[in-house]
Amino acid sequence: MKLRIFGAALILGLATVPAWAHHSFAAEYDSKKPVKLTGAVTKIDWTNPHVYFFVDVEDESGRVTNWAFEMAAPSALKGSGWTRTTMKIGDVITVEGTRAKDGGNHGNARAVTLNSTGKRLGAASSEGR
Amino acid sequence: MRARRLFCLLSPCLVAAATATLCAQTPLPSVPAPTGTEGAAAPRRAAPPRPPSAPTPRWPDGHIMLGQAPGKLGYWNSGIGGLTGKGGVNLPTNLETDEVPFMPWSKALFDERRRTQSKNDPHVRCVGPGGPRQFHTPFGLMIYEIPEAKRVFIISGGGPRTWRVVYMDGRPHPTSDDYQPTYMGHSVGHWEGDTLVIDSVGYNEKFWFARAGFPHTESLHLIERISRPDYNTLKYEVTIDDPKTYTKPWTGGHYIYWTPDQDFDEYFCQDNNRDAEHMVGQ
Repeated sequence: MKLRIFGAALILGLATVPAWAHHSFAAEYDSKKPVKLTGAVTKIDWTNPHVYFFVDVEDESGRVTNWAFEMAAPSALKGSGWTRTTMKIGDVITVEGTRAKDGGNHGNARAVTLNSTGKRLGAASSEGR
Repeated sequence: MRARRLFCLLSPCLVAAATATLCAQTPLPSVPAPTGTEGAAAPRRAAPPRPPSAPTPRWPDGHIMLGQAPGKLGYWNSGIGGLTGKGGVNLPTNLETDEVPFMPWSKALFDERRRTQSKNDPHVRCVGPGGPRQFHTPFGLMIYEIPEAKRVFIISGGGPRTWRVVYMDGRPHPTSDDYQPTYMGHSVGHWEGDTLVIDSVGYNEKFWFARAGFPHTESLHLIERISRPDYNTLKYEVTIDDPKTYTKPWTGGHYIYWTPDQDFDEYFCQDNNRDAEHMVGQ
């Protein structure tokens, strides 16, 4: 589970159902800082106003960092094929998203791939909306 | 900034106006989807083509239904649209943002809100969506008219899951002596043909009435005009009348489209709101 942050990853063709968030995307996330991380899911908050999941990401030195990612609300994720059991604690996933402006280890997810199956689901991100 | 004088001025005319005239009219032709761009804080994205729509549903007395037809499910898919800008779902009659008749102080505050990318928007803190904000809050909107109660209820599926009541019984606005300004204000309504006209005052200053961040004071007076040109289309238009914030009233609005055959899910902004602490802005 290696940390991979791509400075210019352009992610296209996501089957997302865009949904407005209850907040300004630009005030919280930096569209110039896309991230792509792989790790094991440690916690899932299937809640409003946003679903959050947490993932342990190991960098090349072996240090493990727990990242948090925001997705859309549960009702919006339904349109992208999600259910509350799509992703489970312990699943190894790859998340593509945008890093928070405050520099913390959290971000806004655009898509999540379940590594065991290769299934990739959009996260109904409000980026660009 | 109290709305005392405004309440007194508005009340007599509203009593007369609130005598509803319920008219059965021929349904209007379907509204073509607007194209182009959206408002100041809204995205600039072309609206997708709209499918053909059934006619506007009507009550037995002929006036229009703003909610589901009997036996049907569905809700208004609110979440996009703004009060300025002419494209997307916005009305072609909207002003551009630089045409809004700001006063110097309100222009400065608006510019600051834009510069900081709305990081201080109270809505992020799950504050109620007063006025037009309710019509572009995501996760659904319903409008229920209950003739027996002489009230219209406007219910938000998103935000802090708010609702507001529109009195249709001809009552005037209260005076400021017996009314504490609120997030949702005091609304009275009447029908003008196929348009529900809602007159509202009594707002506090603790919310943004539009996502774009247009300022207001307690003198805010809104005149909302809501119609349903076809089954799948709601037309929302509001006149912003706040003589302490704008040099003259101005009007804007947008369309909202119907999501059929389902109700909206439960949504409470307060449930697990982590965003407010991370708002950095620019």
